[in-house]
This record gives sequence, C-alpha cells and structure tokens, in this order.
Amino acid sequence: MTPRSHRRTGLLGGSLLIAVMPYVSTASAASAQTQGQGQGQAQAQAATTTAPAGSAAAAPPCEACHGAHGEGMAAAHVPRLAGQSAGYLLKQLNDYAQGTRDNPIMRNFAKALSEKQRAEFAARYAAMSAPFNAQTTPLNEVQLARGHQLAFQGSEARRVQACDSCHGPDGVGVDFAAPYLAGQSAEYLASAIKAFQQGTRKNDAGELMRSVAQGLDDADIAAVTGYYATQGTATR
Amino acid sequence: MVQRLKEVDVVVIGVGMVGSMVAKELAAAGYKVVGLERGQTRFTVPEFQSPAIHDELRFDVRKALMQDNTREAITFRNQSAQTALPIRRWESFLPGTGLGGSMVHWNGQTYRFQANDFQLATRTRERYGKNFLDPDVTIQDWGVTYDELEPYYDRFEYLLGTSGKAGNIKGRIQAGGDPHESPRSREYPTPPQKEHFQGAMFRKAASSLGYHPFPQPSSNLSRPYTNPEGMKLNACVFCGFCERYACEHYAKSVPQTIILPVLLANPNFELRTGCQVQRINLDSTKKHATGVTYIDAVGREFEQPASLVVTSSFALNNVRMLLLSGVGAPYDPATGQGVVGRNYAYQTMSSVASFFDEDVIVNPFMASGASGTLINDFAGDNFDHAGLGFIGGAFIGAVNTNGRPIQYHPVPSGTAKWGKGWKNAVVKHYNHSVMFSLHGSSVAQKQNYLDLDPTYRDAWGQPLLRMTFDFPQNDLKMAAHVTSKAVEIGKAMGAKQVDGSPRKGPYTITQYQTTHNTGGTVMGDNPKTSVVNRYLQSWDVPNVFVIGASNYPQNASWNPTCTLGALTYWAIDALKNKYLKNPGHLVSA
Repeated sequence: MTPRSHRRTGLLGGSLLIAVMPYVSTASAASAQTQGQGQGQAQAQAATTTAPAGSAAAAPPCEACHGAHGEGMAAAHVPRLAGQSAGYLLKQLNDYAQGTRDNPIMRNFAKALSEKQRAEFAARYAAMSAPFNAQTTPLNEVQLARGHQLAFQGSEARRVQACDSCHGPDGVGVDFAAPYLAGQSAEYLASAIKAFQQGTRKNDAGELMRSVAQGLDDADIAAVTGYYATQGTATR
Repeated sequence: MVQRLKEVDVVVIGVGMVGSMVAKELAAAGYKVVGLERGQTRFTVPEFQSPAIHDELRFDVRKALMQDNTREAITFRNQSAQTALPIRRWESFLPGTGLGGSMVHWNGQTYRFQANDFQLATRTRERYGKNFLDPDVTIQDWGVTYDELEPYYDRFEYLLGTSGKAGNIKGRIQAGGDPHESPRSREYPTPPQKEHFQGAMFRKAASSLGYHPFPQPSSNLSRPYTNPEGMKLNACVFCGFCERYACEHYAKSVPQTIILPVLLANPNFELRTGCQVQRINLDSTKKHATGVTYIDAVGREFEQPASLVVTSSFALNNVRMLLLSGVGAPYDPATGQGVVGRNYAYQTMSSVASFFDEDVIVNPFMASGASGTLINDFAGDNFDHAGLGFIGGAFIGAVNTNGRPIQYHPVPSGTAKWGKGWKNAVVKHYNHSVMFSLHGSSVAQKQNYLDLDPTYRDAWGQPLLRMTFDFPQNDLKMAAHVTSKAVEIGKAMGAKQVDGSPRKGPYTITQYQTTHNTGGTVMGDNPKTSVVNRYLQSWDVPNVFVIGASNYPQNASWNPTCTLGALTYWAIDALKNKYLKNPGHLVSA
C-alpha cells in the first residue's frame, strides 16, 4: 500500500500546488500594490510567519506552534498547514476572528489581522512545503486496513460515508471545500473529530462533520486518523 | 422442476420505495413477509460511494442503475396501426432496478398533488361544462380525496424529512410558500434548501410579473434529520449528482436511508434478491391468488405460496405483472372494454433556455436535485382554462439539477449541432445560461394504453410489455400556452436570447423527458373503469393489492413520488386495519 500511496499523493500534491496558485498571485498583487514593491519580491514578503503588528508585543510568531515550514506540532494537536488549501485556511482564520470556530489562542491572532492579511497568511502557508511528520503512534495492520476502509469506502453499519467523498481522492483535499487529510498528523485530526463530535467545533457546512464524527467511535477515529497520517509525502 | 416453498403471510413483488414501506409495516405488525427483488442488494456503503458513483459515462449515458433491457425491455409504438419495437436503450424514461428501486436515482422532488387533481373529471365538468374536452380524453376521479390523503402525505414527508416551505397550513396562506397548494396540517419537517443563483434570478423575475415563486420541496435534505423510524440523514452537499445516481452522503431520502435498515432488522421479513417473478398464481376460480412463481439468479424455479400478494414494482412492471397473471381484464382500445393497461399517461415536459452575457455567472454545477425555485401559477387548474381548449398545466421553474460535463451543455437555437461551432458555443454559454423546466400534466385518452407484445419476449420467455402512446392534443395545447408564459419570465430576467421549446408530437422514446410513467392499474370507484378500488385492492382478486404510480387515473402537473408515498401509507392503513383483520373485498363492486 505504501509505495503506491506515495506515488499517487506525490502526483496529486503537485496538482494541489497548481490549484492554490490563483490565491498566491492574488496575494502578491495586493501586497505589491500596498507596499510598492516589485512583483517578484512581493510574494516572499507578502506575509511573514510572525505575529501581526498590532497584537500583543509578547505574542509568539505563528511558527512557534505551526513550525518554520508549516509542519505543525503533532504532540500539541497543532495542525500542519504547509500546502493546505488557501481557501480553507482563510475560512478558518475568518471563523476564528468571528468566533464561529473557537480557540482562545487563534481567536486573538485572527482578530488582530485584517481580512487582507488573513488572505496573505493563507496564501503563504498554501504555498509552503514541509517535511512529512514522523508517525508518532504507529498502527497495526488491522487498524490500518480499517482506517483505509473508512477513508476510501465508509461504513454502512455506522452510516458514515467515505472521507474521500469530500476530502478528495486519497484525502488530498478539495480547494476551499475540504482540507487535505493525507499527511496531517493523527493527533490533530483526532482532536478535530472529537471537537466536531462533542459539538465544540461547529463551523462545518450542513453539520456534515458533526454528523460523521458522531458515527465514529474511539477505535475508528484512531484507525482513520492514523491511516491518513501515513499518507503524506515529503514534497508537500 | 418447481420447488414449492413454505407458505408465508405476504409476498411483496419489488423491494423499492413502496415494497419497503409495505413490508416494514406488515412485518412490524407480526406478519411473515417475503420481499422478492429482481435486482441486486445495494447500500450507501459501499455501492454508492464516490468517486465511482460520479461516473457520468457509466450512470448517465450508459444508465447503470436502470432495468437491464437486454433481458427485459419494453416495446413501443405511437399508434396501434404501427408495429412496436423493443426499446434497446433507455432514453425517454429510466425505470430503475435493484434494492431500493427507482427511488435510488431520483432527484428528491417531493410535491403534493392538489385537491382538484383527485376529482379531476368532476371538477372539470363543474367549472368548464360537460363538452369542454375532446371526447377521446378519459380522465376520471381517483376515488380518494386530498383531504383523506392529507395525513398520509404528512406521514410520508416526515419519513423523508422533506425540506420545504409550507404555503398553506390548515387554510392559512404562509409567506414564502406556494399559495396554490392545498392545505397541509403542518410545516415541512426541515427548512428549504439553499436557493441557487438561477433560482434567485427566477424568483426576482417571476415576482416582478406578479407570480408566486417558492422553493422546490426537496428530499435531498437541507439539514440533518432523524425520521420517525429512527433513521438519521445528513445534509446535502450540492455535489450535483442526484438524478440517475445514488447519493453517497446519506443525504437523499431513499429506501436505504429512510427505512430499509429497520425492515431488514425484523426477523419477520426475508429479502430475496435476483428473483424474477413470473406470475401471480391464481386458484381455479381465478378470484383468489395462491402466491407467486419466480426464477432465481441461477435459474431455479420456485413457487412461493402466500395469503396476500402485493405488487410494488415500477408502474410499468405492475401493469405487466397483472397482464402476465390474468388478474383483471386487459384493456381493448377498439371496444373500450377491459381495464388493465388502460389510461396510461405520462408527463408533458417543455423547456425554456435563457442566454445571458458573460458577466452573468450562473455556476450550474452548484446544484442539488431539488434546490430550485418555481411557480405554480400555471399548474393544474390554478388559472382559468375557459376558452383555452385544454385542461391541466405545468409548473415553471429554474429547477436545474446539475452542470455535469458530458450531458449539460445549453446552446442557443441556431447553433451548429456538432463540430467547432458547437464546441465554441458550449464553452461560451455553459456558465451563462438558465434552463427552466416546465413540468406538465398528462391526460389519459382512449388511444394510449399498455398491453402484452405479441412478438417480443424477455430472457425468461415471457411477453414484453407494449406501450402505445402519443401526446394528446389537449397536452400539446397546454405545453404551447405555458411555454409562452415561461418565455416572458426569461425575458424579465434580462436574458439576451430566450428559446422556448414547447413539447411537440409525435412522442419519441429517443429523447429523455421524465420517468413519470403512470396509469395502467388505475384506482377508482367503478370496476368498469378501474383495476383497483380506492384502497388499491384488485376488484377481481381481492388478495392482490397493486401499489404504484400505475394507480393514477391520469397524471398531474407535479412529480408523482410524494403522492405515491401518501397512497402507499393509505393502502397500508387499509391492509393493517381492515383487510388483514377480515380478508375480503374492502369495497363491494
């Protein structure tokens, strides 16, 4: 399973980067206009990964948690952002700012950003690539098979559709509509599913993720999140 | 060698929507029920999952979910002077097969008929006089009224979780709903679907002309819903793959999502798939059914004795089953005698396409099976027909369900039919066009009917069903009138070109129209003009119940499914509370 998955996600990882290009160029054009810089330089400087001006002086930079390359911090349930869809990232930042997704740390950061700055951060992370996280809690073969089944096929007994139905073939994500799951850390994915399950996260369209999460038990959550965590590549 | 099986209380022929509902209720009441399904078992997982289910070539063009017409076709002709030929490729209508039946591939459009529709003959005579209609038109009353069916409509909508906005609750007109609808007892179970951009454009234009737009009632749900059977459904994600496809999200109300799991968990029920029922068996009096004979997937023949037989197949197959079994007298168009196959009707579909400049961006792919906006101002008898020379009407709506790449490519009239000119036009207009559907009623008339084909047979050696049908003049006049009204709405939207396409004859089976085939086992209060009584019980063989859109004496201006659901619960009530307690004729002839 592994070599084949790597080949496929590698190919699709490439198309994901192409998919976010419009966002990158939009952000570049916007910053070139405001900062009076050449277009070529604009993208690199469009957004830094440090906390925005205007927030508390002691605020840590984004990279303190999300990593220098957007690789995230699995042990602390901090998601990997590198190569994530800009549309999805922007929606999350807007939701944090508006309180429709609740997280005390992210709320403050997001609120301090203008909408344009949020778009720039989203584009910045969408364009990043980062090393693939090491699997922190490896699964056995039975768990991996179950994880693959839920990801690819779903479960009639649990009335849960395949994750890939929305999150794209092999969980590579669908720009704007759904984040990638492949290569995301199992710890973050599990915490996100739990938040949907418990209703502490409610910014899903049509309550779709809440419905799905309610159909999954702890063993299935461990299997499917662990499975996706094995599906990343170093290229994204 | 026919193997005779142990007798059961009830055998159900066809485990689709009707079969699932009947079997579930009767098994729950303690009866031993066997469900015979000719197709295969299938569920949301794994059979309906994407990306496989979003294969437009397989499901849309090649119609993978439909009745296998290499084994079981239907023959067709426009008039009885012609020789009918088998339909080798489904186009005009798409009968489904397999567990869950045709409902698996529906759009979820869940309309009620109006009170007037159930007493069409009487009301037409009262309002327009005795000689208003062409003498060949054979419309008749249903033998059941809207008020009698209302509680069953309600129960069915709550089974499905239908998303909509009431227009009339107990006689009080509700803002935002359809003011023409007959009174309902309460609001829809879930709020309406999100309106797509085409619907919003239509709403504005129709309102400006003084019409009454409202959201299409949808059984692709607007929000999660748990039905009275305890089945939980999800909200629709607007993927644009409803009709001709199955839903991967548990968001479309189909037997698999609303009732089958409850039925299959009941030990009183046994599902047998791959079973082709050959006939309902009658005793020597021909007035009593003894069960059915079927052939299984590996060719073994079985006799399944039963005290009660319910035919719950697709409308056309219900008719064929009665003809193959000798239940009821076949209709003879020459004499007008006989009833089985009589009053076959359809739906009179017209369309209007509006083309805009490129700054009007429609995104047609952001749609669901029933997320449009429509008006009923020209449906049914909601407008005065005096002087028009026809009865009936059509709803007009921006009810486009998809923007799929192979089949959806609106181009203005005058465009080349193929080649570079056509391709350029498809690219130019794909995202800047609005399509209206005009969903029209269909009257029954003497010349249109169903019988057994004298020549062609199915894979089991049984005669195919033969359809003789052309559009009645009444309906073509209706189509022309309503299309002219819809063109005005297209112009009011500001389109730079509006093409109206009123339905014209002759009827062709090579162009998709709709799968709303009705009639042939008509219900009524007179055994000379109906096959079943008002409880859907055969007049001739009282332990046979026939349930399907085949019961409709003629077809109304709306999609037939919701009315069929109501009729099914109505018949179930009669079965449980009347017939099974004291078997015999529920209505004396």
